[in-house]
Amino acid sequence: MTDELLVVRCQLGEREAFTELVRAWHDPIWTYVRRMLGPAEADDVSQEVWLAVLRGLPRLKEPGRFAPWLFTIARRAVANRLREEYGRPEAAAEGEPVSQDATTALVDRAELVAGLSGLPVREREILVLFYLEDLSVEDCAEICAVPVGTVKSRLSRARRMLRDHLTEKGYRR
Amino acid sequence: MIDRLSGPLSLRNRIGAVVALLAGLVGAVGVGLLWATEPALPGRTHLGFGVLVALCLAWAAYGAWTVTRRTPLFALDRVIAGWLAVTATGLLTAAAIAIAVVRGTWVGLAGVAVAAALATVAVVILVRARGRRAELLRRRRELEDPGDPS
Repeated sequence: MTDELLVVRCQLGEREAFTELVRAWHDPIWTYVRRMLGPAEADDVSQEVWLAVLRGLPRLKEPGRFAPWLFTIARRAVANRLREEYGRPEAAAEGEPVSQDATTALVDRAELVAGLSGLPVREREILVLFYLEDLSVEDCAEICAVPVGTVKSRLSRARRMLRDHLTEKGYRR
Repeated sequence: MIDRLSGPLSLRNRIGAVVALLAGLVGAVGVGLLWATEPALPGRTHLGFGVLVALCLAWAAYGAWTVTRRTPLFALDRVIAGWLAVTATGLLTAAAIAIAVVRGTWVGLAGVAVAAALATVAVVILVRARGRRAELLRRRRELEDPGDPS
């Protein structure tokens, strides 16, 4: 079943459709939030995202464009959380590593994830959206509210930074 | 995750908010009309009417806040809410006409005008909600049977 059909059924008010939608998209959203904020806040922030999705769904004009819309909401929730964190005096400055969950770091692409968490927020975000969530450059541009060209340049800068970062840590091709 | 979202997902909660909004609004207008058209009232009765109107307005405000800020109204909910609104404002209009006929004052006529305006808004809301639902149902059919042109 396509996302568009699921979204249309949700907009009609079918509860089962919403359950299916959450089942299909929970993991991508959770992964995105965890990459951006770390494992400690992933559950809370994904719940905020789903609440916002539920409230916003009746007003979604283009059900076929669900994924970028969903990630726009997730991005806003992440940005709010980051803002709260940076507001606190003891908070880490932008670009400092997000703490890693030991077990997932082991089973995951450990070195890539560790490298990701060392990147600044913007670069980390674009790598997560483009490579881990498999979104197109156009969708990334819509989600981040920047032109396509900016996404491309940000991606190339992010790749370079990630490469430098990993090389520094001793990973070589 | 679905369990955590059960509040806004419950149809009863959503329709409950609509009922609170409508009952509060219709109650406030109805009681207000009775209050305004009653010729001679002792001071305490004025107070009683005032408290009743304030209570109704509080429920209306709570319902409006819930419907606009807290809980989504999906297509089916909007149609149900539309029918509820048409019924409630229809009853209100009937009551306002009765009051206007019995009391025969200009306040009664103004009440009929207000009730009729609310009823018109309710009908517009219902028609739009039905249209939106029909559109979504059509889109769902198209997506379910891509080969079927009907």
